[in-house]
Amino acid sequence: MKFKAVLTQDGVNLLDKRFLPALDKLGRFCHVFLTPDHAMFLHNLLGGDGVQSVAQFNKDVLFTDYRISSQNADRIAFAVEVAPLNRALRSALTIQAQAGDDTAAIQIKLVKKLSARSREPAPFLTFETKGRSAVVQDVPISKPLSRADVLQIQSALDAAQDLPQTLVQVPDLAQLQSLVERLKNVGDLLTVAITQYGDLHLQVSTSLINVGSEFRRLRVLGVRADPPVSDRNLSAPMRMDMAIQRGEALSVQVNLRHLAKSLQCHLAKPDCAFYGIAPQGACMTVIFQFFIPGTRLTDKSISFYCRLPVLDPG
Amino acid sequence: MSSSSGRAGGDATDLVCQLDCVQGMVDALSSVRWKRHQDAVAEISEHGIVLIVEDTGCLQGKVYLKRELFIVYEYAAEGRPRFGLSLGLFVDCLNTFSTPGHSPVIEIRYPGPDMQLLLKSVDSPDACIYAEIRTRIPDTISWGYNFEPAGNIPVTFTVRSAVLKEAIDDLEWPGSNIQITLQPDPPSVTFRGDGHGDLQIEFPYHANTDLLIAFQCDHAVSHRFKYKFLGATTSNIPSGVLKENRGSKVTIGRGGMLKIQHLVSVRRPATPHSRGDTSGLQQLGHIAYIEFFVKPEED
Repeated sequence: MKFKAVLTQDGVNLLDKRFLPALDKLGRFCHVFLTPDHAMFLHNLLGGDGVQSVAQFNKDVLFTDYRISSQNADRIAFAVEVAPLNRALRSALTIQAQAGDDTAAIQIKLVKKLSARSREPAPFLTFETKGRSAVVQDVPISKPLSRADVLQIQSALDAAQDLPQTLVQVPDLAQLQSLVERLKNVGDLLTVAITQYGDLHLQVSTSLINVGSEFRRLRVLGVRADPPVSDRNLSAPMRMDMAIQRGEALSVQVNLRHLAKSLQCHLAKPDCAFYGIAPQGACMTVIFQFFIPGTRLTDKSISFYCRLPVLDPG
Repeated sequence: MSSSSGRAGGDATDLVCQLDCVQGMVDALSSVRWKRHQDAVAEISEHGIVLIVEDTGCLQGKVYLKRELFIVYEYAAEGRPRFGLSLGLFVDCLNTFSTPGHSPVIEIRYPGPDMQLLLKSVDSPDACIYAEIRTRIPDTISWGYNFEPAGNIPVTFTVRSAVLKEAIDDLEWPGSNIQITLQPDPPSVTFRGDGHGDLQIEFPYHANTDLLIAFQCDHAVSHRFKYKFLGATTSNIPSGVLKENRGSKVTIGRGGMLKIQHLVSVRRPATPHSRGDTSGLQQLGHIAYIEFFVKPEED
């Protein structure tokens, strides 16, 4: 099992300033999954009832000189704590800057080393920066995941390809974040409904109070329908109930804290975000979209999405 | 601003009102929220809304939201409808309406089809926030806080809210009971805490004109109050009141009943704050009145 690559400047910038801070908010530990074509950072794909997140990069976005080999179809996965990973990257960046030479590359590789704490050699992800002198930093990682675990990750990734039929573009992430923070004081159980007319409906209910927010006429991707004229004068909850009855909306219940967590992903500075509900209400899907810098074209080499587990209303 | 019909769907609606300063209302209501979970009774009338909060028969807080605070106030009830609700939920719910940098117009309606208090934002057609708060039949206990002056001349003083809060905060250390004494000669107010140790804070009227804004007392009075209740009267004064240099009025009535009044600004945040405005007279239309009544400890 071998992995060695040199980080690109874009890759360093994407990870250091945007993705690693967002991933750290999603969960302290993540899985890194490396394949011959992609590098991925994953949360909760191996069970757990938290928010599943997948940040997938085309290998060329992050690396040059990418070499990977393993007996498991050249795929390697391991767990790592996000904060030390970010720290190592940041200090590698500092060393590179001090060298005053852009060609001072940051190389990462998987190694097994004897550490002060154990007699057995332990696995590390090593950052080697060749500035004036070579500086090596070791970030401890888990043992590589077993073949069975890697298969489970792969099948979870495949299952996540099942896109919601209707996606709506989230209005304003900062505003939504502020709303969700305040709703946390009211309750935990959030009902999310999304219509084919482009309405997003969030409601927190307890035995004493219902508080909700309705965003209308959002951009729709996928299956869409025209809103019935008769709905115009109804209250927001009524309008939503009617849409569900007509089969033109889906609704699920999720944990408000999970939604709040997924909103932290805006630290990765996506250009826009879409919400959808997976077929049969299997989960709530949040898809972040990144544009090729300077254009409005989707950058297909980066994909970032979250899946919020659905709570059993019973 | 279009005013909506007070009789939607043929159901009797007692009150429909609209407000464009949610944060001010949150501030005013928070000042009587001394516990996280607290029940309140709301009373609505043609003059406005009064919220009353009470603790163990010894402390009562009241918030007066006059109809002038609302941009629309349509009252159509007979008598004065009263209902109970959770103050904490009401405040947390109002908070969800106020987003940074935007002061929405919200509509409050009572009662809903199931006697709920209904709130919704009305200023944006494409994004709306709404809430339904369950109400309950208020307790029928008599509120024994009849405040009567102690004599012909009320025994009272006015002090800057920030100073009063600081003094009461300092008295937390001795804790237990706090004795408040007013005496005419020399005119002064004394707070004395006696518990783990003792601490005395004195406000002499003549020594420092900045301290006591007004003072009126024709005979010495002295009463003891539980620190817990006294602390509640200033613990949640909104920071705006302290910054705007407003005054709080403290009066001791018959039997030693203590009344503390604060003025809380309720207005759109866009209005620039006028500095050094101690009277606030020109903005009385944008003031919520807060009153606390504290029963004295019996010796």
